[in-house]
Amino acid sequence: MKRMQEAQRSVEFKEEMRKARKAEADRARRTISDEKAERRRAAKNGFSNPANPSRSIALTFVCALFVIYCLFPFLYLLVNSTKTQADFTSTFGLGFGKSFALWDNLVTVFTYQDGIFGRWLLNTVLYVVLGAGGATLLAIMGGYALAKFRFPGRRLCFAIIIGSISVPGIALAVPQFLLFAKVGLTNTPWSMIIPSLVSTFGLYLMWIFSDQAVPDELLEAARVDGAGEMRTFFQISLPLLAPGIVTTALFTIVATWNNYFLPLIMLKDSNWYPLTIGLNQWKDQASTAGGQAIQNLVITGSLVTIIPLVVAFLLLQKYWQSGLAAGAVKE
Amino acid sequence: MRNSKKTLAAIVAAASLVGFAACGSSADSTDASTENATGQIVFWGWDSGNSMKDIIKQFEKANPGITVKFNNTGTANDTSTALSNAIAAGNGAPDVVMLEDPTVTQFAVTGGLVDLSKFGADSYKSDFAQGPWNKVQYDSKPYALPIDSGPEMFFYNKAVFDKAGVDAAQIKTWDDYYAAAKKIRATGSYITNVSGGANDYQPFTAQAWQAGAQPWKVNGDNITINMTKDAGMQKYIAFQQKLIDEDLIDTKTTNWSDDWNRELNDGTLASLTIGAWMPVNLISGAPDQAGNWRVAQLPQWKSGEEVSAEDGGSALSIVSQSKNQAAAYKFIDYLTHGDGAQIMADTGTFPSLKSILSSKEFVDPTTASNKKTNDYFGGQNVNKVLSEAAQRPVTAFQYLPYNPYAQNAYGDEIAKAYTKEISLEQAMQNYAKNLAEHGKQQGYTVTLK
Amino acid sequence: MSEQMVDRSAVAAQQPSTTASPRKEAGYVHRHRADWRGWKFMWPFALVFVFVFVVPIVYAVWISFFQNRMIGGTSFVGLQNYSRLFVDAQFWSSVGRVALFTVVQVPIMLFLAGVMALALDSLKLHGTKFFRISTFLPYAVPAVVSTMIWGFVYGSKYGLVGSLNDVFGTNIDVLKPSVLLAAIGNINTWEFTGYNMLIFYSSLSTIPHALYEAASIDGASEWQTIRRIKIPELRGSLAITVIFSIIGSFQLFNEPSVLQNMVPGNAITTYYTPNMYAYNLSFAGGQSNYAAALAIVMAVMTMAIAYMVQLKSMKEQMK
Repeated sequence: MKRMQEAQRSVEFKEEMRKARKAEADRARRTISDEKAERRRAAKNGFSNPANPSRSIALTFVCALFVIYCLFPFLYLLVNSTKTQADFTSTFGLGFGKSFALWDNLVTVFTYQDGIFGRWLLNTVLYVVLGAGGATLLAIMGGYALAKFRFPGRRLCFAIIIGSISVPGIALAVPQFLLFAKVGLTNTPWSMIIPSLVSTFGLYLMWIFSDQAVPDELLEAARVDGAGEMRTFFQISLPLLAPGIVTTALFTIVATWNNYFLPLIMLKDSNWYPLTIGLNQWKDQASTAGGQAIQNLVITGSLVTIIPLVVAFLLLQKYWQSGLAAGAVKE
Repeated sequence: MRNSKKTLAAIVAAASLVGFAACGSSADSTDASTENATGQIVFWGWDSGNSMKDIIKQFEKANPGITVKFNNTGTANDTSTALSNAIAAGNGAPDVVMLEDPTVTQFAVTGGLVDLSKFGADSYKSDFAQGPWNKVQYDSKPYALPIDSGPEMFFYNKAVFDKAGVDAAQIKTWDDYYAAAKKIRATGSYITNVSGGANDYQPFTAQAWQAGAQPWKVNGDNITINMTKDAGMQKYIAFQQKLIDEDLIDTKTTNWSDDWNRELNDGTLASLTIGAWMPVNLISGAPDQAGNWRVAQLPQWKSGEEVSAEDGGSALSIVSQSKNQAAAYKFIDYLTHGDGAQIMADTGTFPSLKSILSSKEFVDPTTASNKKTNDYFGGQNVNKVLSEAAQRPVTAFQYLPYNPYAQNAYGDEIAKAYTKEISLEQAMQNYAKNLAEHGKQQGYTVTLK
Repeated sequence: MSEQMVDRSAVAAQQPSTTASPRKEAGYVHRHRADWRGWKFMWPFALVFVFVFVVPIVYAVWISFFQNRMIGGTSFVGLQNYSRLFVDAQFWSSVGRVALFTVVQVPIMLFLAGVMALALDSLKLHGTKFFRISTFLPYAVPAVVSTMIWGFVYGSKYGLVGSLNDVFGTNIDVLKPSVLLAAIGNINTWEFTGYNMLIFYSSLSTIPHALYEAASIDGASEWQTIRRIKIPELRGSLAITVIFSIIGSFQLFNEPSVLQNMVPGNAITTYYTPNMYAYNLSFAGGQSNYAAALAIVMAVMTMAIAYMVQLKSMKEQMK
């Protein structure tokens, strides 16, 4: 009897969720088609609607200036990665060199010092997968807990987390290092991964997101239904949180990929360096007595370093933008 | 829930396992019996010649049972920072560390390094050039062995000097240098650059040293700081002030910046007074000037003298934390005094071992590495000039026991003189006060003159 | 500004609107007794957080009461490090510098971000999508790389500035000490404007279309729509972007330290920002204890300022 009830509820419940999702999708589709129709109408009769106004060339032009500002350093990087070291030191920064050395530079980047750059790339990927991946997971769970449960110590958690954001990273660096050294974790990948697991921002993001995307009624229903908290979390909440998760993951990935200060302190074994530290070591190589200047490799290496993130941004654009927007959508 | 718990437990377990494994492996290597001198040693340093891997391979071949794990720790600054962190943590320091000579004292004072005389290193005294050897002594005991040295040299771009009508070979004194600076400035170039940044600290100490200055005297817990009343310092300050006031030096370009390389490459900077290790940097940093650069002895403060000074230079030390000091010593002996020293020299390191400096091979223009350098220097036998400088007598010069701090503070205080905000003498006075204050904080008894 | 800062400002992206109250009163079951279920989800984060943040902070407080001398070793000195800090001219000059930086750079950056967000939201642009992604892209570049690039651009001899000087016969030097801070501000603006823009933009996208339609029917002009509807909506996210920008500015480190070697005349001193000062004290100066005291004072100051500016409103949203 009880089981039947449960089964029935669970069916009802799934039905409910399907409906909710369908309604959401319908709404999105409606909006898009409405907007299209509106634009067509506006184009035909010249009437402009504030929700769908006609395009302005002047505004586009002004904003284009800003975009140029945003993009020209990328151009600089691209142009200079085609130069040899000699061209780099002797030709104009935004112009091409005497020879086109991009392919040579790329090959050298990956073969210099027995191909250590490839190792750095793999290390970075490792740190991102475990560090940023773990950070996302912990943030999802923690944010969910803060949003959906009133547990003892919740407020304290909150106060401590907000307070600790204001502590300068440098203040943490030395004690963190000493602590890790005592446990014997410095110079191992763990010294990079474990601190990366904490993303206070990710926690906040997921807190807000859980609060909005997971209706309490749904959880209530599942609980009455007898589903365990973990099952409820994985089967009901997690799918609803998907866009927020993509967004959180993106930000933790960027933070880990670009992290500079942490590995600078924790890692002294170049075999475990991430790209940022490796590049900086190459940059500084020219400033050691007897060291060779390899600015061309630093530039090309920088280009290689940012390409995966830029590509990820572009490919995941649809997801994170909908994630950001969806988080803000309210009925 | 259970699943995720398990996963997390596994992650935590894995984390601690790796941690323990890391501990375990280092313990294994350092616990090895000292008589046999085997096991693994960890070595931190920089690898400017890109040759460390080969040298270590050779060492391991010659010393079966010892393996060396080399960690490229970046620049000299990065390395000493990393070392002081590891010493503070009481864990995680390497067995062998490469340090810049003047930094050795700081770690020796605080007990971070091993006195090498217990391995008999003190008997090497006469084997090394005097300059680098003196710098690695603390309390009259060697705490490191020099791996290279940097007698201060006068590198110049002959093409630019010719254009200005100056015969650089005739520059024997700093007065000659001053006269040349004026002529070169007239052509639009600068004779050299000094910006008073932290990177100019070493050239500063070298030139003041050469002038016979004794700005710092250290005697146990007592330090005397005399930056402006010492005769040698006064000579140095007056000379620099003249160059600044008459716009004879480029004060806007910092050593080791990209601008610096460009200006060396396009002839804007006509010369450098810098350590003997510079040729490699010039070849890669100023490729367009191939054939134009030359090297000569440092101008003298008094004509007829042959006084040299040291700029840079690094050494190898054994860290007190090391549990495998015998093997560590074998390694640094090999690199600085044994066969490794020759290999280092062959790959571009400027040696500090007298036997190499005066060997035929070192000045033999037909060896591959010498040929490459000599070609860049217009056929000049570069090593011959350099080795001559390395064997010149040097006066004793004392660095402060907190040298890394002194280097940073130099940039903070002295740069103002090169941007003409204050006089160099005033800047030196401020600098002296700053250093005295720090010395007191560190528990020294400081006399400020 | 560090990666941490990057981390932070996006917070506002999902921030709940101040106008609507998404959380209903109902929904929290078992209110009457302690409900520990939340810890099932909270503990992994809390555990790592304690290990990585809380313990080190406590440890920093602890070591700030000691002094480690080369001669004499470690000794307990009580509050001496703190009293020394209060008369340390270098420390206060660095605080003054970041305060100036905050007062000037943060408003400019947020203004640009707000204007850009309004422009994108107006749908009046050709290629909105392209604008959105390209203004956001700088965020993908590590501070080390972006500072290096800007450093090359700034060079008055060989950089882009130098080339422009040659063309126009001017003698502009953006790296001279008097304008250096502005040059650093520009790097930060480049790095984070698009990022803040996105936060504003997503908060604008929460405004229901019905509201615009209503405004249009009422005959509101474009400008009135912006002033009456859009700008009030931005306020909520502004609170968070301001707080995190302030925290980020006070922790300024990566940009000046990478730029240090590219700037003539040592204009970037070892005490240029409080964070750089702390770093140099503990890593080159062997004064970790003093640096710990400095960091703690900075943390307290940052918290106080953030609180004064906006934290209150943020806290309300988080209840």
